[in-house]
Amino acid sequence: MPDERASENYVVRMKGITKVYPNGVAANQGVDFDLRKGEIHALMGENGAGKSTLMKMLFGLEQPTSGEIIVNGEKLELTSPSVAIAHGIGMVHQHFMLVPSLSVAENMVLGMAPKKSGLFVDRAKAIEITREYSEKFNLHVEPEAKVMDIPVGMKQKVEILKALVRGAKILIMDEPTAVLTSQETAELFVELKNLKNQGYTIVFISHKLNEIMEITDRLTIMRNGRSMGVYNTCDVTKEEISRLMVGRDVVLSVQKDKAVPGDTVLRVRELEYVNEWHKKMLDKVSFDVRKGEILGIAGVEGNGQKELIDMLFSFNVPNSGTATVNGTSILGLPQQRIRELGVSLVPEDRMLYGIAADASIEENVISDRASDKRYNSGPLFNMKAIHQEADRLIREFTVLCKDRSQHVGMLSGGNIQKVVVAREFSNDPVLILADQPTRGIDVGATEFIRKKLVELSRSGIAVLLVSADLNEVMELSDSLIVMHNGQIAAYFDDTAGLTDEIMGEYMLGLKQQSDQEIRRACHD
Amino acid sequence: MTKQRQLRFTVIRSLVAILIALLVATLLIFISASGATFHDKLEATREALKQMLAGPVFRFSKKNGTAFEAKRLADILAAMIPTIFTGLSVCVMFSANQFNLGAEGGIMLGAFVTAMVAIYLPLPAGLHPVVAVLIGGAAVALVMLLPALLKTKLNVSEMVCSLMLNYIIMYVIKYLMNTHLADKSRGQIMSYPFRGSSAISPIINNAVFSGAKLSWGFVIAIAAVILCGLFMYRSRWGYAIRMIGINQDFAKYSGMKVGAVIVLSQVLGGFLAGAGGGIEMLGRYTSFSWSALPGYGWTGITIAILAGNNPYMVPLAAFFMAYLSKGCDLMATYAKVPAQLIDIVQGVIFLFFAAEQFLSGYRQKLVVRSAQEEIERARAEGGRQNA
Repeated sequence: MPDERASENYVVRMKGITKVYPNGVAANQGVDFDLRKGEIHALMGENGAGKSTLMKMLFGLEQPTSGEIIVNGEKLELTSPSVAIAHGIGMVHQHFMLVPSLSVAENMVLGMAPKKSGLFVDRAKAIEITREYSEKFNLHVEPEAKVMDIPVGMKQKVEILKALVRGAKILIMDEPTAVLTSQETAELFVELKNLKNQGYTIVFISHKLNEIMEITDRLTIMRNGRSMGVYNTCDVTKEEISRLMVGRDVVLSVQKDKAVPGDTVLRVRELEYVNEWHKKMLDKVSFDVRKGEILGIAGVEGNGQKELIDMLFSFNVPNSGTATVNGTSILGLPQQRIRELGVSLVPEDRMLYGIAADASIEENVISDRASDKRYNSGPLFNMKAIHQEADRLIREFTVLCKDRSQHVGMLSGGNIQKVVVAREFSNDPVLILADQPTRGIDVGATEFIRKKLVELSRSGIAVLLVSADLNEVMELSDSLIVMHNGQIAAYFDDTAGLTDEIMGEYMLGLKQQSDQEIRRACHD
Repeated sequence: MTKQRQLRFTVIRSLVAILIALLVATLLIFISASGATFHDKLEATREALKQMLAGPVFRFSKKNGTAFEAKRLADILAAMIPTIFTGLSVCVMFSANQFNLGAEGGIMLGAFVTAMVAIYLPLPAGLHPVVAVLIGGAAVALVMLLPALLKTKLNVSEMVCSLMLNYIIMYVIKYLMNTHLADKSRGQIMSYPFRGSSAISPIINNAVFSGAKLSWGFVIAIAAVILCGLFMYRSRWGYAIRMIGINQDFAKYSGMKVGAVIVLSQVLGGFLAGAGGGIEMLGRYTSFSWSALPGYGWTGITIAILAGNNPYMVPLAAFFMAYLSKGCDLMATYAKVPAQLIDIVQGVIFLFFAAEQFLSGYRQKLVVRSAQEEIERARAEGGRQNA
């Protein structure tokens, strides 16, 4: 019975998994997924395909609506991560679950700390444990350093070690390379292969084809909440995978004419900001964004991009420096005044700032213009004008919804972002701050938003684009800034000829342009 | 989830919550009912339930049988007047995510200030009640600036602040009544009588309703419901209040004046509570004699939660609460069951409404069914396109 014998090798079998979230989204529909002992298995699919949902169920963060999960031949109800950990399943999240103000060793033993005289945390022992695991798995970390001071690559190693210390034999890695530079990625791959050779099973969630081809043994492809099949990595080509993932050939290169930059709209000079942990997040940042151009800001996350946007939209005030829009200082102004000056923001965290999830699409698209004369007659709203505006925006931005009264929280990620963009792009802006405008949304919406950004910039609007997606910044930007450690590490007045490798070196701080070269970002 | 399913869920959820509360009430009535034997107790419970559920609109007598009782219905409507106002007040404040509990003190202060205007400020009839009620409302609006400004300027919890404010208001009024404002010619502590010009006249003919008191205040309360609904759903200020309540960060990012709107919601809430107190005072009483917090503010909180902070649903919720209260009073009178039972019934209903996860399993089933239907439909449409 060959079938029987084969099944003995499976450490995980998920059968007919369906998951419907309380907001009605069917994230998984009858998905089968299995893992063989000692393999690196890729779980592929676009954002929103249901990969993360499937793995959250394997890690006990979510429970399936129907279907069963069998781990090491035993049918399990994974009701919480602690149950999953007890069965040897560990997860390394895309956004690290570490306490920044604690040391690496303290994070390692969090919740299972060795005790001294039964009461106090035994720090020395924690450090010892960390060293021991670090050496055993050849994952180099500094046990005594504070997590907030260590580079992203090392934080990830801490996460992996954390799972291993807790006895994980199966490691789920959620887009582990998304935040890494190419050098760090190469290092990670060596470590993963090492773990594989020691008998560990790894799930590698990704949508980067090259990485998958390089490191995995088998792959499961997901699309729209369904499994599109399981393949041996050596048996399929990149083209086949791409077709299975997307279902159509996506042209991700956006057509754009050469920019003809006009006058300076946003002028930023010598911006400095020290955060509450006394870390310098912005260090003498100076640049201009001109009419009709897209200035991109690339960089590994956490190198000052977030702080920069916070300053420019008055969520925070810098320690020193200036920022003006068409000559008017914007630092510390109320958001209402900043919007009156024609500044729009597509915020990085769309659920927190971009929308009111429990309000209708209509209420969400008018939030910045509700006091406008056009939408009021006397003390009351002009409901007809508001309905018209909402319907127009839904049509123009192709928001997929039942009608304008549907709650925004019920929409898919891509459509939520379209609601945000519909508002921010339609208020006659002179400057658009687009912070990770296409993060985590489907290809269709991504393409749409990118095209809109180019279209708007060519109509004479200044665009500042912050993105951790290298393809996106390199594709859309007319000129480009790389940020590292709160400083501008490089400025390119043309993105033609730039490669991932060049960018990676600046992003990682291996290279730094001269002051003179960087000063070209200011067009005085 | 489709709108019909959403509505069905809301209705079923409300009914189940009320049903469970009534079952708990039945059990408690049975325990506290007088009677030597099980059968006696059962009989007493049956009588008590009859009084509580049907008593508010029917009179039961051995001679005439069961008859519709217009007076009791009028009493219920009259009892709704102050609680509609406090319900609206709480709706406006809670919509902005401001857990201001000052409606209780607010209605007492509004009643007191209105009473003072009714006593000491000579004005022509017609104008007098209007001015008195407006001043009463304005006084409370002014007082509510305190928790509102402390919240926006110093981030003091408006809940704690307004809760304590209730007692400050009550004791200041008691002090003033006891020392300076009492009519010494009366047997108990009460103010001088209101001027005749200040009364809000009764709406219905006493002959028909055999002594029922229902003032024009009821009509004003319904008008306030409509105005409040328009304000919340059809004006830019109400819109800002609701958006801040849903997501304050979003409102700030959108360019709304968050601090100002938070103050506005509490000042307006204060005005509504105060005006409600004034209308209640001039429609029902001839002099001020409240010596303790009247409880209308607390009921207002229950009403706002039952109404889901929707002003249009407030009269319904207020009717339900007034009906229940009347039923329990009758039960206490005729069936010898403690009237305090209403507090328990209220508490149980409150609990199930406030429990967000109550019946969430059922809700999830409806959601799953909707999602599956949608998937099927999409597949059917896709199939058609391919063919």
